[in-house]
Amino acid sequence: MSLEHAGYDRDAELLERAFRELLVEKGVVSDAAVDERVEFMYRRTPALGARVVARAWFDPGFKARLLDDGSAASGELGIDIRGLKLVVVENTPLLHNLIVCTLCSCYPRMLLGLPPDWYKSVEYRSRAVREPRAVLAEFGLHLAAGVTVRVHDSTADMRYLVLPMRPKGTDALSEAECAALVTRDAMIGVALVGSPKDVL
Amino acid sequence: MSGHHDLGGTQADAPVPRGQHAILPWEMRVDALMQLLSDPKRPGGALISVDELRRGIESLSPDEYRLLGYYERWLQSLIAVMAEKGVIERAALERRVAEVERAHEQEHARRGER
Amino acid sequence: MTPRFNPGQRVRVLDKVTVGHVRTPRYIRGKRGVVERICGEFRKPEELAYGRYDGEREPLYRVRFAQREVWPDYAGAPEDTLDVEIYEHWLEKSEDKR
Repeated sequence: MSLEHAGYDRDAELLERAFRELLVEKGVVSDAAVDERVEFMYRRTPALGARVVARAWFDPGFKARLLDDGSAASGELGIDIRGLKLVVVENTPLLHNLIVCTLCSCYPRMLLGLPPDWYKSVEYRSRAVREPRAVLAEFGLHLAAGVTVRVHDSTADMRYLVLPMRPKGTDALSEAECAALVTRDAMIGVALVGSPKDVL
Repeated sequence: MSGHHDLGGTQADAPVPRGQHAILPWEMRVDALMQLLSDPKRPGGALISVDELRRGIESLSPDEYRLLGYYERWLQSLIAVMAEKGVIERAALERRVAEVERAHEQEHARRGER
Repeated sequence: MTPRFNPGQRVRVLDKVTVGHVRTPRYIRGKRGVVERICGEFRKPEELAYGRYDGEREPLYRVRFAQREVWPDYAGAPEDTLDVEIYEHWLEKSEDKR
């Protein structure tokens, strides 16, 4: 992308290459380390967060530990969270949680992968704190009367994950089958987890 | 620094755009570079903190902030902080960018593109 | 460092003029809320942002605000809340009983 009107005439891809070449030549980073880290990030997907959610649905002790210390509990499942300071917030029939980072785009990347473009948008960052219900409605989520909305602005060092409610119609499903229902959007808070018939 | 990144409550009635671009390899590499440079376990310790990355991004002009893509902002900030600390020199970077561009153009000409 | 505030305590976010990097959003400055939890101790972003990695740590709090306290024209439900992480040096006790 070039931006002549902002005074930029350099292709960012070429700039990245030039910058990385200098860092490699100075021994600051290696191409192998960059490749390894890229591969690691490609393997971070919402399926990791979904495992945490499903375990919480099936194991009340785990759920209690998760709500108390999200990082430690996630680590129990063998997920490499690399210093993530995680706070897990639970949706209930009376409370719906929504996550945003108004100042930049902080996101629990180790459990969800890279954030979607909409999460990083000026519109989401500005409106999620001020008119969360209108934002949720745009995502097709209309909450029942009497449900409180709680927004979490990740301004500092903590990262947030929503523990969505377990949907109806899942009593006969295994933990892995339940995990397959849990979406990234439900763990950010702009969606609920659908029942199996909805997903199909 | 004008606080143009401090967006909470600043816009109304603007629908959240739902388009998603496919992340490009160079963007993933920018993310990887930040992770490597900010790793406290790297030899010599971290060269940048998340806070410095944010500060570098916030130091972009309002136009730059608005017009540059997400990872372009990261890249500008990484370069600025590494240059501040003398890890790289901007003149050397400019020279290398020119070389990389020349190589890129020659490759395209060879392939008969454009 | 002993935390100055405890969960359940009413606090107010300072409303100060700042130069440079801060992590206290403008929309929350001057607003009153309740400490929901102490998140731990962390270094100040104002120092980390300029390369000072060895500063003193201080408590970071999750503070819960009523949305109608934050936005005069808030259009959602009266019980809706907003949780924001605020560093101790940005908080003072709020004597307001409301």
